[in-house]
Amino acid sequence: MTVESAIRIENLGMVYPGGVRALEDVTLEVHTGEFLAVLGLSGSGKSTLLRCINRLIDPTEGRVWILGEEITGAKGGRLRNMRRQAAMIFQQFNLVKRHTVLTNVLSGALGRSPLASSLVLSFPPEEHERAIAALERVGLGDRFTSRADALSGGQQQRVAIARALMQEPRLILADEPVASLDPALRHSVMRHIEALNRDEGMTVMCSLHDIDLVTRYATRMVALRDGRLVWEGVPDEFDQRTFKEIYGEDAQPASNTGF
Amino acid sequence: MGPKDDRGVRAAAWERNLARLQATAVDAVLLGITLLMVEFLVLAFSGRRGPTGLLLSAEQILDLLHYAWAAAGGLALALLWNLFHRQLGSSLGRAWVRGVPDWEAPLEWTQTLRGWFTAIFIELTFFSGWLITELDLLTFLTKFGKAADIVRGLMHPSGAVLHEGLVLLVQTIFLAFMATAFAIPVAFVLAFPSARNLTRNTLTARIAYTLARTLMNFVRAVEPLVWALIFISWVGIGPFAGVLALWVHSVAALTKLYSEQIESIDTGPMEAIAATGASSLQVLRFGVVPQVIPPFLSFTIYRWDINVRMSTIIGFVGGGGIGYILKPRVDLGEWGEVGTLVLLIAGTVWLMDVISAKIRERIV
Repeated sequence: MTVESAIRIENLGMVYPGGVRALEDVTLEVHTGEFLAVLGLSGSGKSTLLRCINRLIDPTEGRVWILGEEITGAKGGRLRNMRRQAAMIFQQFNLVKRHTVLTNVLSGALGRSPLASSLVLSFPPEEHERAIAALERVGLGDRFTSRADALSGGQQQRVAIARALMQEPRLILADEPVASLDPALRHSVMRHIEALNRDEGMTVMCSLHDIDLVTRYATRMVALRDGRLVWEGVPDEFDQRTFKEIYGEDAQPASNTGF
Repeated sequence: MGPKDDRGVRAAAWERNLARLQATAVDAVLLGITLLMVEFLVLAFSGRRGPTGLLLSAEQILDLLHYAWAAAGGLALALLWNLFHRQLGSSLGRAWVRGVPDWEAPLEWTQTLRGWFTAIFIELTFFSGWLITELDLLTFLTKFGKAADIVRGLMHPSGAVLHEGLVLLVQTIFLAFMATAFAIPVAFVLAFPSARNLTRNTLTARIAYTLARTLMNFVRAVEPLVWALIFISWVGIGPFAGVLALWVHSVAALTKLYSEQIESIDTGPMEAIAATGASSLQVLRFGVVPQVIPPFLSFTIYRWDINVRMSTIIGFVGGGGIGYILKPRVDLGEWGEVGTLVLLIAGTVWLMDVISAKIRERIV
């Protein structure tokens, strides 16, 4: 394998206990520095695929490499070190609601923090400075003392992006990061993710279901259908026929997608 | 492909046989109990007399029943019913384990043997229960006189024990408080290995889960009264024994409540913290603990409330608190003084109830 691939996935398969097959024989390479969008209907395996990459879910078949190192089979400290390289952003933000915004951002530093002091929520001063800086980058520098659940959805997702930034990762895995946000706020969140990709050189792998957002932000796209990879290409190649291929014959593009 | 399919077929056959076995076992138990109840009722109404010449009591009849025959008969009937389920319709056990076939589904209960059996089973249980527990409506309705003394005493509380009662009431509240306070850290630590959702991944975790659950189920199954007797002979009569008895029981009860709360948390934050490269302790501290603290507090206050109530009974056997002076007065029939103590307890319990409800409302 070449050094350029940020993530390499080989013959990945996932069967959940109970027999539901979520992924089948997925082979895929994510190049360093690209913004890769993952398309597909809900239930097509997008979330499972992203979670198999940082092993929040253990795949039942196949192998995954992150930055040239194999994460499948990794254990303990080695697994945690590899997870630090790949920050994750979630559809439901997944902030610790009862913690302050600052503590939430600081939790991005847990992977490199001493265990004992982190358990009493104490972090070194330089981490506090980093956390404030991260919050300022997402435009929430003044909200660090608020409780996380006092913020709006869009603000919470920006806190989650600051937490990801705090991790100082080289990859971003984003699972439908704007799907539970008001459409008007989607671009504000997507632009922050785009900035991480463009300005920090972080590789982004992001599942999205809004074709508009995909064509606007992604540099390359892949599509899943019933757990299988069915399409790979660049946004320019995406057309009506591809749409039907991914979403099925009955699907209609929303009127504002430009087809 | 061959051997793999073969394994699948064998596994399916094995599962079918296991289901048949389960269904028959359930039916055997139900039919066996039915036979016993029929025999019990026949004997009860046959007018048979015991060695003393009196009618047999329910307890004597229970002693006479043919348990081994009933077990054998139940098993035989269960086997027959499951063997001829096409003619007789599904038995209860079969319906429970495997569901009913389509042709039976639309039938009313009166159209199936299973339905009639259920109805008769419930009737038999009710009549047997009436006799076994010696229900006697006539006595209940006509012999109120003796109890009237007690009620009168309770309604005319005497001031003689008020002072002593208040002092011991304070002891009761603190007894319950200490038991609860000491139970919190132990239950908190035990709750995590007792939560299913945190212990699925590794073998060690599954073993810890089984151990913690088994131990706590055992401790909870033993009445606090029994714990009190154990601790009284350990540390002597007095409030300390009461604290220990309530402590043990509270640990088990709080562990269960805490762990159920942990099982119902939102796993999103746990995922997010794990994804940062945090260790499992950090995942617990950031992803789990903040979510469960408010309900934990609420359960704990509720437990304190329960402990105040329980400490009265614990006091009866010598575990300190207000129950300790209540017992001799009940024995001596000093109903006025009993009335004072009961009112003190009732007032405190009511007050604790109101306060704990208010606090819990605020927290959650």
